[in-house]
Amino acid sequence: MAGQSCSQLSLFTPDEVEFMAEDELVEIVPNLRMDSLNFICGDYGPFYPQIAIQVPLWLALALKKRGKCTIRPPQWMSIDNLTQVLEGERESHAFQSLPFHYVEISRLLFDHARDDIPEIYMVRSLVEDIRDVRFHKVETNLENFTASAVTWKNMAAMEVNIIRAFSGRALQAFYRHENEQLIPDLDRTQDRQPQNLNDRPRRNLRPR
Amino acid sequence: MKIRTLKLQEAHKPSSAYGAANGSSFCSILWDQQARHLVTASSSDSGISIHDALLPSTTPKILRHHRDGVTALALSPNSTCLASGSIDNSVKLYKFPGGDFETNITRFTLPIRALAFNQSGSMLAAAGDDDGIKLINTVDGSIARVLKGHKGSVTGLAFDPMGEYLASIDSMGTVLFWELQSGTILHTLKGVAPNTGLDTSLVNILSWSPDGEMLAVPGLRNDVVMYDRDTAEKVFTLRGDHLLPLCFLSWSPNGKYMATSGLDRQVLIWDVLKKQDIDRQKFEDRICCMAWKPVGNTLAVVDVSGKYGLWESVVPSSMKSPTEDIPQSSKKTNGLMLFEEEGQEPCSSGSLGDLGEDSIGESGPPSRKRIRKRSEFDEDRSTENTIDDYGLLPQRMAPKRAREQLDKGANEELRSTAISVRSKMQEAFQPGVTPVQPGKRRFLCYNMLGTITTMEYDGYSHIEIDFHDTSRGPRVPAMTDHFGFTMACLNENGSVFANPCKGDKNMSTLMYRPFSSWANNSEWSMRFEGEEVKVVALGVHWVAAITSLNYLRIFTDGGLQKHILSLDGPAVTASGSKNQLAVVTHASNCLPSNDQVLEFHVFDIRNGTRPSRGRLPLSPGSHLIWFGFSEEGLLSSYDSKGVLRVYTSQYGGSWLPLFSANKTKKSDENYWVVGLNASKLFCIVCKSPEVFPQVMPKPILTLLDLSSPLASSDLGADVLENEFILNNLHLFQIQKRIEESSSDGRDTTDLDDEAFSTEAAQDRCILRLIASCCNSDKLVRATELVKLLTLEKSMKGAIKLVTALKLPNLADRFNNILEERMLNETKDMSEAAGVAVNQGSGLGRNGTSSEVSSEPSCIPSSSTTLSAPHFVKKVVNRGEQKGRSDHNQTAREVQPEAATRGRSTELRTTAAAAAATAAGNEESSRTSNPFFKSSSTHEGPAKESTCQRPPSNPFKKSVK
Repeated sequence: MAGQSCSQLSLFTPDEVEFMAEDELVEIVPNLRMDSLNFICGDYGPFYPQIAIQVPLWLALALKKRGKCTIRPPQWMSIDNLTQVLEGERESHAFQSLPFHYVEISRLLFDHARDDIPEIYMVRSLVEDIRDVRFHKVETNLENFTASAVTWKNMAAMEVNIIRAFSGRALQAFYRHENEQLIPDLDRTQDRQPQNLNDRPRRNLRPR
Repeated sequence: MKIRTLKLQEAHKPSSAYGAANGSSFCSILWDQQARHLVTASSSDSGISIHDALLPSTTPKILRHHRDGVTALALSPNSTCLASGSIDNSVKLYKFPGGDFETNITRFTLPIRALAFNQSGSMLAAAGDDDGIKLINTVDGSIARVLKGHKGSVTGLAFDPMGEYLASIDSMGTVLFWELQSGTILHTLKGVAPNTGLDTSLVNILSWSPDGEMLAVPGLRNDVVMYDRDTAEKVFTLRGDHLLPLCFLSWSPNGKYMATSGLDRQVLIWDVLKKQDIDRQKFEDRICCMAWKPVGNTLAVVDVSGKYGLWESVVPSSMKSPTEDIPQSSKKTNGLMLFEEEGQEPCSSGSLGDLGEDSIGESGPPSRKRIRKRSEFDEDRSTENTIDDYGLLPQRMAPKRAREQLDKGANEELRSTAISVRSKMQEAFQPGVTPVQPGKRRFLCYNMLGTITTMEYDGYSHIEIDFHDTSRGPRVPAMTDHFGFTMACLNENGSVFANPCKGDKNMSTLMYRPFSSWANNSEWSMRFEGEEVKVVALGVHWVAAITSLNYLRIFTDGGLQKHILSLDGPAVTASGSKNQLAVVTHASNCLPSNDQVLEFHVFDIRNGTRPSRGRLPLSPGSHLIWFGFSEEGLLSSYDSKGVLRVYTSQYGGSWLPLFSANKTKKSDENYWVVGLNASKLFCIVCKSPEVFPQVMPKPILTLLDLSSPLASSDLGADVLENEFILNNLHLFQIQKRIEESSSDGRDTTDLDDEAFSTEAAQDRCILRLIASCCNSDKLVRATELVKLLTLEKSMKGAIKLVTALKLPNLADRFNNILEERMLNETKDMSEAAGVAVNQGSGLGRNGTSSEVSSEPSCIPSSSTTLSAPHFVKKVVNRGEQKGRSDHNQTAREVQPEAATRGRSTELRTTAAAAAATAAGNEESSRTSNPFFKSSSTHEGPAKESTCQRPPSNPFKKSVK
């Protein structure tokens, strides 16, 4: 994964983050009888109609597209929980605890399993609100970014991804200012890196 | 006599615009069960008012759904449903106390005058100026019966509290007793009540005493006449100070008092036992309806001008409160206390109302009267206790009745949910059906395969059939049903529907729809005259229907009427699977403890046999709610106390409890069973007040582990003990199947493998049990467990285990057991191999047999576990072949089997994950075994039967 992008800065495109999120487990209710599926990542099944089972999100979506299952929205995606989280986000400075891949999971479910989420408009607007509030928080946090205080709990994958490049380099900059003798080395690597990044042909992930 | 004035509040406008002729209108008033609300209505007002009894000043909630005046109100006994009848000819149902309009349950051609709910609330009687009384099922709004017999307009209806009779009265004063079961008139009392003529504000009413023994009817001589419940003979009359005919009467909740109102604008309160009035009040206007408060000493009254009021402390505080000793409810007293209480404290009424009355300081005359009454009461009591010279029916009946009521109290909870009115025997039901809910889709059938759902519309229903497995099941188009099917069943090949008969014109019909057929028009239907389908079931190539005449009718899937059998009792339910049909019937009436007495029969439809029958066990006080076959074809039942039972042939056919909802249940969940397999129960989890699932959103099956109701043992390894029992059961079933299929000459390799893996699992479980036994120092139990191990490898593991646990004593013992086992095995082989040298092994055998007999009694059960499955098979095969005495064939059959054995041995060795080489040798020697054994069988079974080694046990059986 990281091989596709810059290994040192670990930059991921949103698509790549989404790809990783697809390994998260979700609960589906299949509507067909199927034997176990044996994958590299593990064995899933056997599937019985109307009996809920945990599978990775990518499998859930693949089955859903073929009309073979319904996806049960995860626990945290209930309106009650989301309103609570949103309130918490607005009130406190800290990040509320949400699944690491909440942005991606909710996005995928909204795109592909619209009919399985009760009151989807409400849920969707709540998730978007939460996301906006948190992104805003991330950006404001960056304004007072110091080398000493980088303890941000409960940040989600997408949020980390936004600040990954910046914070990495910022930390390096802090480091450099503190240790003057290391400057030449770091400068050299720093110069080389962006070039590599740009030269490299990136394979676009096939959109779902 | 001082006349107290009671302030009345206006609830309904006394409209003369479209009221009755003289400007007065008939008004009704009702309390709800908890006395939180008062409901009033007037025949000149289209609105129904729900007053909050606790906060009388708040404005009442007004329900305006009728287009004309409301003439009748009725509240279901549990106060959840309000019915109203109106001059606009309709009867409407509302939710109570919310007041949400639910449905127009029926319509007449002329105004409604009377409504009544039966005791369970399942039935509503409505009548009026039309010539028939309609009995309506409140559940589905269907008309159960129309009772025709009155000449005038019916103005009063009363269900007998015991649910057997309905009494009705018309404006001409004729009283009819109807038997509900048959709908026939039992007694006609012509002209016993005044003829009210055409004044609709004056209606004749009648009322059963709360204990159901008497019916009170206004008499012709300004009195109340009591009629006997069964004979309809006049029992006595309440005659007193009414100057004009009565227009309303109402029993106090306990039946000791009665309030009557007359055209003379008086309301009198009577002590019914003494036939004497104890209080009275005069009003400005005629009181046309009264209702006793269900809790407390208060009477609500409403007059013809639409004003209502509460008469507090109706019964003097010196006398028993009108709500004491309520016969029907179990809340207050248990009935047996009746006499004791009367003896100890005759003045035990203590409601708030009484206090209020005393503090206000009522005027003289009533209190004087009260004193007089009290002294009479005391006398009364003494006579009552010494000699029963009153000759009054209620008193004589009291002890017996009290006992009955005690029972009833216990049933109360059941009755509120049960559908039946009187009979406590549970009604027929279809497994996987959910009750009717107005305006909602419901399940007619839910099984592991799919669902049949129905939705009722005006005059027709819409039925859909869905399979859970959308990829495999056929797609079935939705259908419109004009029959009103309430029973259905579904399997892979087709679906069957049936409806009960509704009235005369709608006969009970059975319809079968195959999902696919080579011929057109292959669906068929049967009609039943004078017979009603109660339960349907479906199997492979057969359809079964059980009818109200207790006939079991079996049809082929083409519609051929193949068999008609008479069943022993009324059907409860039935279920079909492949060739087997299981039917549950009532064996007798309920026990006094309210236990259902049920019987089950299993029929094999293809062979025309009845493989098993017997009593169907239920938890005490429960009823059957699900019945069917498990995935493996075992008969299973689930009762209302949440116990799942499975029928096995162990102990000559018995039911094993394999799941108990109480043990696993989170308190807020109910389990609605759909099916089960060997280790799991498939059910739909419903949040607590709900006991059944809704169609939307689509319910999801939840898997629950089966668990025997184990006693909490000192071992603290409940999970393992449970696994042990279930494995044992599983193993037993597999072995039975192996026996069956090998006797049919089918290949049993798969089953053998399954048996082996179960045995391996059982050994693992036993080893863990041994470990926990050793940890808690139960060494005897550990030794018993070791004897149950199947594989040699696991015995060695056990020895290793106890050595590691530093129990050398136990290790020695285990070693001995293992050696003994090995010895037995080799002996068996030698016995099989060398028949000629059997005297040599005879000695050894005697030795082992004595050893074995000295072992604890757990051995018989261990023997089944010990027996290797292939041995069983071989032995049975041989028995059969011997019967045929075809040696050539024996040889031929044994050979391929030896080949398969070789394969299965291989499989096993891999499955066992590197069995010891010794075990491998043993296996191979076993492979050669059959050849030797087959020769030994010719030697005679007598010798074999003495052999203690378990594998020979099945053989013993087959020999016998």
